[in-house]
Amino acid sequence: MAKAYRLIFDENLCIGCQACNVACRLENDVPEGVYRLQVHVTTQGVFPHLGMHFERRSCVMCDEPPCVSVCPTGASFQSKDGLVHIHESQCITCKYCILACPYHARFINPVKNVVEKCTFCFDSRLSKALDPACVSVCTTEALRFGDVSQENSTVAMLSRKETLLFPKAHLGTKPKVCFIPARKGVKV
Amino acid sequence: MIESYARRRFLQFSTAALSMQGSLRAWEPSILKGEDKWVRSVCEMCSSRCAIEVRVVDQKPVWLQGNAFDARMHSSICARGLSGVSQLYDQDRLRTPLMRVGQRGENRWREASWDEALAFVASSMQRLKQNYGAQSMLFSSKTGESFDLLSSFAANYGSPNTFSHWSSCPIAIESALEQTFGERAYRDFEHADYIVNFGHNLFEGLDIPLSKAMARFAANPSKKLIVLDPRFSIMAGKADEWYPIKAGQDLAFVLSLLHVWLRDAKYDHAFVRRYCIGLDALKASLKETTPQWQERYTGIDAKTIERLADEIYRAAPRCILDWGHKATTSPAEFQRTRAILIANVLMGNVEKKGGIYFAKTPEMLNVLLQEPLFPLLQSPYPAPEVGIARIDGAGEEGSAYRFVPKKHGVLNAIADAILTQQPYAIKGWFLTRHNPLVTVADPQKMRTAMASLDLIVVNDIYMSDTAMMADVVLPESTYLERDESIHLHHGLVPSYTMRNRALMPLRGTQSLRETVRSLADALGFGDAYPWKTMQELRAYQAKGDSALLESLVKRGYVQATIPPLFLREEASVRAFCERYAHVDLMRVSEMFERRRKTPSGKIELFCAHIEEAFAGYGVPCAVDMDVQHNYPYTLISGKSAIHTNAHTQNVPYLHALMSDNPLWMHPSTAKAHGLRQNDTCYIENEIGKEKVKVFLTEGIRPDTLFLYMGFGRQTPLLPKIDRKGSSASKLLPLKTAPVCGAMITNTGVRIVRA
Repeated sequence: MAKAYRLIFDENLCIGCQACNVACRLENDVPEGVYRLQVHVTTQGVFPHLGMHFERRSCVMCDEPPCVSVCPTGASFQSKDGLVHIHESQCITCKYCILACPYHARFINPVKNVVEKCTFCFDSRLSKALDPACVSVCTTEALRFGDVSQENSTVAMLSRKETLLFPKAHLGTKPKVCFIPARKGVKV
Repeated sequence: MIESYARRRFLQFSTAALSMQGSLRAWEPSILKGEDKWVRSVCEMCSSRCAIEVRVVDQKPVWLQGNAFDARMHSSICARGLSGVSQLYDQDRLRTPLMRVGQRGENRWREASWDEALAFVASSMQRLKQNYGAQSMLFSSKTGESFDLLSSFAANYGSPNTFSHWSSCPIAIESALEQTFGERAYRDFEHADYIVNFGHNLFEGLDIPLSKAMARFAANPSKKLIVLDPRFSIMAGKADEWYPIKAGQDLAFVLSLLHVWLRDAKYDHAFVRRYCIGLDALKASLKETTPQWQERYTGIDAKTIERLADEIYRAAPRCILDWGHKATTSPAEFQRTRAILIANVLMGNVEKKGGIYFAKTPEMLNVLLQEPLFPLLQSPYPAPEVGIARIDGAGEEGSAYRFVPKKHGVLNAIADAILTQQPYAIKGWFLTRHNPLVTVADPQKMRTAMASLDLIVVNDIYMSDTAMMADVVLPESTYLERDESIHLHHGLVPSYTMRNRALMPLRGTQSLRETVRSLADALGFGDAYPWKTMQELRAYQAKGDSALLESLVKRGYVQATIPPLFLREEASVRAFCERYAHVDLMRVSEMFERRRKTPSGKIELFCAHIEEAFAGYGVPCAVDMDVQHNYPYTLISGKSAIHTNAHTQNVPYLHALMSDNPLWMHPSTAKAHGLRQNDTCYIENEIGKEKVKVFLTEGIRPDTLFLYMGFGRQTPLLPKIDRKGSSASKLLPLKTAPVCGAMITNTGVRIVRA
């Protein structure tokens, strides 16, 4: 049966420590200078009325991925579970997908000279029923991952309880990565 | 060794804890094949010592994560912890002993064999001992196994002069706890409803179990977190209310809270009457410290103090006034920390769930349960008393540092002692992974002092700033390449951890234990140690308890699953007695009635012996709060989640994330000096002048400047980090905080255009 993966990022729990970022680099051998995953921390407002915001920047695994339809070789594709992957051998580094991605999630791996992005650690972990590396190491358990169609999964329970925001939802991309927005601090 | 019944039970508890750890089960069958194994150990990328597991494929560590045998960890680990492998394989690591060729500090070296380097160190130490006495050698290390080992080495050699990192870090807290309670206290963040945080930045100075508990607390809408910090730290970003208090003025804030509670008789009267001494002295001292009075010090208005005092009182006893970890904000540090401890005491949160508690030690639990359930360890590092006074007078009657533990000493006193050769000749220094030229005040003076020594030996994994000044540099193995002894961790429930190596040393390095053991033999006191190998050491320490050792080799972490026990929480005591039917309820409750290890035997709101030696310090009062000293700005510093003090800047993964530390400056301050983002300028005071790059942010008081620690290095052999960023230490005076001897890390500066 097809999975309905969801990754929930709770901004209230995230402390911007970059453990996820380093875990991703170590697990996926991401070369120096490029990132599959980062957390951006920004201070907003005017002293002393401030807010701090934490934003996960990575592929959001769209259900309607613009990067797949623009790919001229079929290197960018969507699996039956709706995950977006890249066949490295078919990638001609034309960069159409990089331009099409509204989340700026794709980049060229300078070592392999192919386009790369987050895969939810599919080969090394997800296909072995392990959580993605970022989720497993998160210092404050701000990341939750699972199958939202399973009623008792943590992500399903969280989805019922919390108001989830889907990044750039207006584009109709239907991301599988979503977030619980911060309840504290000034919002600009 | 015959396994006793008690021991079997202890290990059964641990196994029960394991079965609840689903994630661990999920890992093992799917990944363990062939050369693929997991080694459970203890992290050393910072000092928090989180339990970790290392995945080792074909003898190469490839992955690190939290060790779920410690249920608080799950599989969590921070960026630094993960970078343990990046450090391991860093090409810039020291790989062979180096001996100085040119002038001291000139950076000319030749490679040497271990035998040659150690023979040189031993003969030099022997010569110094003959010519000047063993006390002419100093020894320093941060606390932990390396410090226990080095202290033992120093004592057997005959020198009293051991220094830990305490006086540059947590000494005010340790000292205030000792003087107030006679022991350490711990915070139950997990169950608190209300926390007041005084710059304890647990979200950057990470300790996974504590940070996790704090994150859950801060994210819970029914709890309240108040943060006082001149800077909008990550912690402040998670607060319900953030007060950008003026740097160093925590004491004024707490004194006014105490004033309000005493004025309105809003405190736990019964608790104070029964367990404390010195309430009258406290009342007398706080007459004037009104909410209005504190306004000019802290910048927080009086009405806010009144409201917070009321809220905290209503939340009591499930409230914590968090004294922090490293806090050296002003000369009044001892007073600040004591005032915070006393605020907790007045709220009656001691031994209450969601409050503060004391360690339930193995000894105590064994007595309570009437059987030896918890293993007692014996120290493998004997340190006989040396009958000579220390160079700083720590622990000596009549000395300014009489209340500083002899073991830890005062780092800030070293430079002057060397330069004046007082109270006696000081000729040598053995440092292990200690980098005082970055982490101690006034490194300029320290450098001059070091230049005059006859012998400097540095044991480290990198060619640090301090190593540059050495005669001999000894390359140490990283924690992933080291087996270590057993550590007992105190808290609600005792736990035991052990560092197990994931691989043999990669490149010609060895552990400090091996180094010290061969030096002890060469210096003729090898027989002080009842062990030669690590196996013998562990067996000696565990008193032959093979079941404990076996468990620690496999799991790295062992904890018994006794119910958490808060001695003044009725439900907790009852639950404990239900679990252990043979334990009498009264017997448990009475544990709290015992005499405390303070001079009066009670919790001391007033410390008579401190007052006698330091007038005005016996009870919290407004003294010595100024850190700005007529300069227009206060420079403050702190930890980041990416780097550990002066240790990790060269680690490739971490360097890629953070390679610089620009100076935080409020835009209005920058404007007043005509400075823009990324401009270069200087900050200076009477101690030094340091070049900085400007980072504009709304997240800091306009009268305050901030630098992350550990940058501005002088390490030509580590070109990636050499002279990158700025060092706050270069502007810190050597003056220390009265009573506790703490280095003061806030200081006045002015801004000078480049």
